[in-house]
Amino acid sequence: MAPIRRKAEEILRILKLLWIPALSFALLFAGCAHGPQAVSSPAPQAESLQIRLVSEAAESEPPDVNAPEEPSPYGEYTDEEESLDYPEEGGQAAVGKIADPIEPFNRAMYNFNDRLYFWVLKPVAQGYSKVVPEPARISVSNFFSNLWSPVRLVNCLLQLNPMGALTELFRFWINTTIGVAGFFDPASSEEINLQAQDEDFGQTLGFYGVGQGFYIVWPFLGPSSPRDTVGRIGDYFTYPISYLDPWYVWTAVRGYEVVNDVSLRIGDYESLKDAAIDPYVAMRDFYVQYRQKRVEAKGTKPKPVSEKQTGETLPTPTGPMDRIFPLNREEP
Amino acid sequence: MKMRYVVLGLLILFLWSFPAYAGAPLDTVKVNADKVLDVLRDPKLKAPSAKEIRKKKLEVIYAEMFDEVELSRRTLARNWNKLNEAQRKEFVHLYHQVLEKAYADKILSYTDEKIVFDREAVISANMAEVYTRIITSSKEIPIMYRVILSDGAWRVYDVVVENVSLVQNYRTQFNEILAKNTPEQLLEILRKKVKAS
Repeated sequence: MAPIRRKAEEILRILKLLWIPALSFALLFAGCAHGPQAVSSPAPQAESLQIRLVSEAAESEPPDVNAPEEPSPYGEYTDEEESLDYPEEGGQAAVGKIADPIEPFNRAMYNFNDRLYFWVLKPVAQGYSKVVPEPARISVSNFFSNLWSPVRLVNCLLQLNPMGALTELFRFWINTTIGVAGFFDPASSEEINLQAQDEDFGQTLGFYGVGQGFYIVWPFLGPSSPRDTVGRIGDYFTYPISYLDPWYVWTAVRGYEVVNDVSLRIGDYESLKDAAIDPYVAMRDFYVQYRQKRVEAKGTKPKPVSEKQTGETLPTPTGPMDRIFPLNREEP
Repeated sequence: MKMRYVVLGLLILFLWSFPAYAGAPLDTVKVNADKVLDVLRDPKLKAPSAKEIRKKKLEVIYAEMFDEVELSRRTLARNWNKLNEAQRKEFVHLYHQVLEKAYADKILSYTDEKIVFDREAVISANMAEVYTRIITSSKEIPIMYRVILSDGAWRVYDVVVENVSLVQNYRTQFNEILAKNTPEQLLEILRKKVKAS
């Protein structure tokens, strides 16, 4: 019964938010122009370094003193340890492995994209970020993200996640109205807490059991696989920007979106590359791990809210999925 | 009367210290993260000339916070057994330097980020996961620490950033290298990597 009740509460919570878009419509039609920015700024105020403890785990049992003794730190590595390493994935065979039959081609494409980034994309994005301040670039990014809503919504539906689809619908409504055509993201604020559902067609195929297949690096587009390539085609047809008429308008808008996104992520690729022993393999593994977890995570849950803000006690966040009981401990 | 207070005091002290003999995983990570933030925030160490001092201080916290040998063993996994004891020691040392070169400057450049500690999940008697988020001006990055109980303290042996495991990422790279090379050649690659950059 509990999950149904929780679902009902969630629906109620979303319905309660209905008055916000309604109010915003009223405001728009009344010609009121006070800054909707006041509702929520897209960037969380970065106060000086500050640690906040949101919620503590429930009873963390004191560790078993009689646990078998660890072998000497430099001792042999045993297979049992390996299976303990990532217990949630049922052994390590499934984690982060992908066939790479066309590695020479992929490495060539990787080098091409690497140069494209350092010689073209990065200088352009750096020049752009000198002219346009960060808050404006975040707003532009919000605007495009809002236009990606149909992709996320459709894929929530395809993955039998009506709550996710509803979340996307309300997000689009709120952000398009009080978020001023999507330039702001009040829906993600702590008060409303409707998070974007990171779903796309590649993940939908994964949801129905389609594997990645093998690794492909496309020029310009980067890491992919047969599954995610098909997914990208689906995304293309669901993304409204794709329907902009003369092809060069589409290309220009899409190019601008990419430059804007890159301007907010300068340094990420560099640190991945610097930290890697073999950047090509590091990138491949990064891609595989990232996509696999995205497929496994069904939608995006609301952010945990601190007790202070809600004024009510939070349920203990440990569910059966969070907690895998050790085999050698007796349950109460 | 006085005796009663003493007994009460002792009782409180006893009860209070009992469950905390190893500390909860989340608290341990938090205490260490706090220490890192203290170093980064220290106005006396703000000057660029104090960078080396800050690095040294972070090094001490890192040694306390991470279980380096465990991190190395889990990175190499089965391949760990291909190395002899001397090679293992050198590997741990070199791997440490690779990570330091890659991440020390990044951590030192943090200024206005906020860390939120969400929850911990107990995996087994001596293993747990601590879920945190770093909040920057433009994004939020989920970071999960895998911790293991070693020598009576919870120590980090893997960092999972945006669902990507650091240990797993390096394991894939080292596996690939060791499929075609000897352990000695791997160490040589790492020595070069440390010397360069």
